[in-house]
Amino acid sequence: MFASIFIPHFPVQSLVRNEPELSGKAIAVVHSDAGDPALQKVVEANVAAIRAGVEPGMTRLRLQHFPEVTIRQRSVAQENSAHAALLDCAGGFSPRVEDTAHDSVLMDLEGLERLFGSYAEIAAHIYDQAILIGLQPQVAVASNPDAAICASRGFQGTRVIPCGMERRQLASIPLTLLTAEPPFLETMYRWGLHTFGDFAALPPVKISERLGQDGVRLHTCARGASMRPLDPHKEPLRFEETMELDDAIAMLEPLRFILKRLVDQICHRLRMRHRATHEVHVRLNAYERVLQLPMPVCDSKMLVELLMLDLESHPPKAAVTKVSVEAIPAKPRSVQNGLFVPLSPEPEKLEVTLARIAHVVGKGNVGSPEVLDTHRPDAFRVSRFDSMKPAAATASPFPSLALRRFRPPLEATVKSRNGAPWWIAFQGFFGPITTASGPWKSSGEWWQQDHWAREEWDVRVRTEKGLLLFRIYCDPNNGCWFAEGVYD
Amino acid sequence: MVSPALRAQLESSFGGRITTPFTDPGRRVGETVSTGIAALDARIGGLLRGAITEIYGGASSGKTSMMLSILAAAMDRDEACALVDGHDSFSPGIHSGKFLWVRCHNLTQALKSTDLLLQGGGFGVVALDVSDLDGKALQEVPLSTWFRFQRSIEKTPTILTIVSGMGIAKTCASLAIRAASDFEFEDRLLAHSVTRAEIVRLRSSAGFQPGFKNVCFNFYPSFSRSIARP
Repeated sequence: MFASIFIPHFPVQSLVRNEPELSGKAIAVVHSDAGDPALQKVVEANVAAIRAGVEPGMTRLRLQHFPEVTIRQRSVAQENSAHAALLDCAGGFSPRVEDTAHDSVLMDLEGLERLFGSYAEIAAHIYDQAILIGLQPQVAVASNPDAAICASRGFQGTRVIPCGMERRQLASIPLTLLTAEPPFLETMYRWGLHTFGDFAALPPVKISERLGQDGVRLHTCARGASMRPLDPHKEPLRFEETMELDDAIAMLEPLRFILKRLVDQICHRLRMRHRATHEVHVRLNAYERVLQLPMPVCDSKMLVELLMLDLESHPPKAAVTKVSVEAIPAKPRSVQNGLFVPLSPEPEKLEVTLARIAHVVGKGNVGSPEVLDTHRPDAFRVSRFDSMKPAAATASPFPSLALRRFRPPLEATVKSRNGAPWWIAFQGFFGPITTASGPWKSSGEWWQQDHWAREEWDVRVRTEKGLLLFRIYCDPNNGCWFAEGVYD
Repeated sequence: MVSPALRAQLESSFGGRITTPFTDPGRRVGETVSTGIAALDARIGGLLRGAITEIYGGASSGKTSMMLSILAAAMDRDEACALVDGHDSFSPGIHSGKFLWVRCHNLTQALKSTDLLLQGGGFGVVALDVSDLDGKALQEVPLSTWFRFQRSIEKTPTILTIVSGMGIAKTCASLAIRAASDFEFEDRLLAHSVTRAEIVRLRSSAGFQPGFKNVCFNFYPSFSRSIARP
């Protein structure tokens, strides 16, 4: 058995999908190949607009006589997104899916009864999933691909055609829904044939004589007796949602709502394909930001939060008229938590927390410190914090004395006697040095421009605040003294 | 008959890592963890989870060493830890593993970052170091801020350790320690620091414990030029 999903008024539905507030309104989609607004004509209108009097081919000027009709420009990018979503919807049910047309897909239901129940239940499941991705579908199940496609185009809601009942059930469908050239349909009209049933009643031999092989193929189709194989869709998975805006957006806050809609749609699609994402690309006109995640996620709320924090830190330089979000699919993370797993933050929640903190203190100021492979003092980099990192070996069983660093080191005035410092003054501290331990000489990277050399001292200084222990050093190249930190 | 036996078996399996796991959290005995300083643990019985610990003292008082000791002990337990460094003064090198370092440059950044970390949850110890920040600004931080921090962690296993030049968390802190240190030199070599911790406030599950006492312990320099340790 085969199931076909058909989306009536597809250009309208692909627009409504990203603008749910248009749902239920009369909408006409206009387009002009030349791009001139004055030459735009109606290419599609929904049922409400047609009832109001809108007809395909009507000019935009004439549409202004219908104030109740909302006019939207055709968006090929949004239609492509809706089509990709339709394929994902079908792909979530069956591995064998045919990309029949922009507004319809076909799938093989072989073996799905054990997973989803009867064919009626499968059709209902498919219908519900299509609603979730923002499309109002017509779903039909039949024993052959063409019968399923014709039935989905001809019947609203869901319809299951039992095997052998194709001809009888398809009989009431108008002939205009048969995928045929306009001259053929004109011939049928002249012959007084209006439905599949009318056409199917004609003898096949006479059809062959008058209309040739094409006529026979269409006649077989109208009888629901076509037996062609399904042509499987094999393109790689691509999760991209695009929205073209009529008015440019200059502020970030309105962009949040648009991003939310797009990311919601992408997350629905990822879930239908049993996938998550670890990399999200956001394109605002020509401006692009890439969000890298340490683990695959499929939480739209979290993704929107992270994208917005990233955009607040790196805002686009111009107003936005086109928003596109693409998620790179990855296998979802599956973790079996144990009772004795040590305390650590939830990775998804942690990612949002770190992004928020980075927004407050700057991106380079949050992470795990990593000491660099050099003897240069205070050489480190801040790497990404990994809550899954295993515990490091304990360096020492004794509590260690900590050094609080002055960044950058503070310039100091030091008086020396017999090669040892005996008095010091720097930024608010001054006094005699009661004990000086040193010098500890070190140097490095003499083969580079920024080579360094120093003579370190640990000095106990009697100040107004008591006895304090500082680490100071002298640069032998210029004789300058610096206070590097205080032991605390 | 089976149920109590199963419960006892499960509780013994937890091996003390989770105290009375099947007891109502409101009535559960406060779980404590080591500070990494044996002498201090012996006096205070460890740090209370879900509570604020405050360590304060002037420069060279040993408060930072105590804070790093608490963080190191938590990392030995393989817990994730965070240090909100109010004045970007932490010297990396000792700690690694699940350690998050937030380099702030003013009080507002430090408080906001701490708030976000506590709301996010999941950390064993969050240390807020505001030692080098302006004392007047610290005194002006409303008590409600510390109270909010305390409420954020009170039913979680997170310990918030505040390190400052003066006592700022006041009654919100379950444990307040005032630190002071002296340094011992041997043959002009820095041998160790002798830190005296005065327990100013100690609140355990049994309530406030009177009788303030001092605890003394040593911190040893970890760098190579130090003399041999005992």
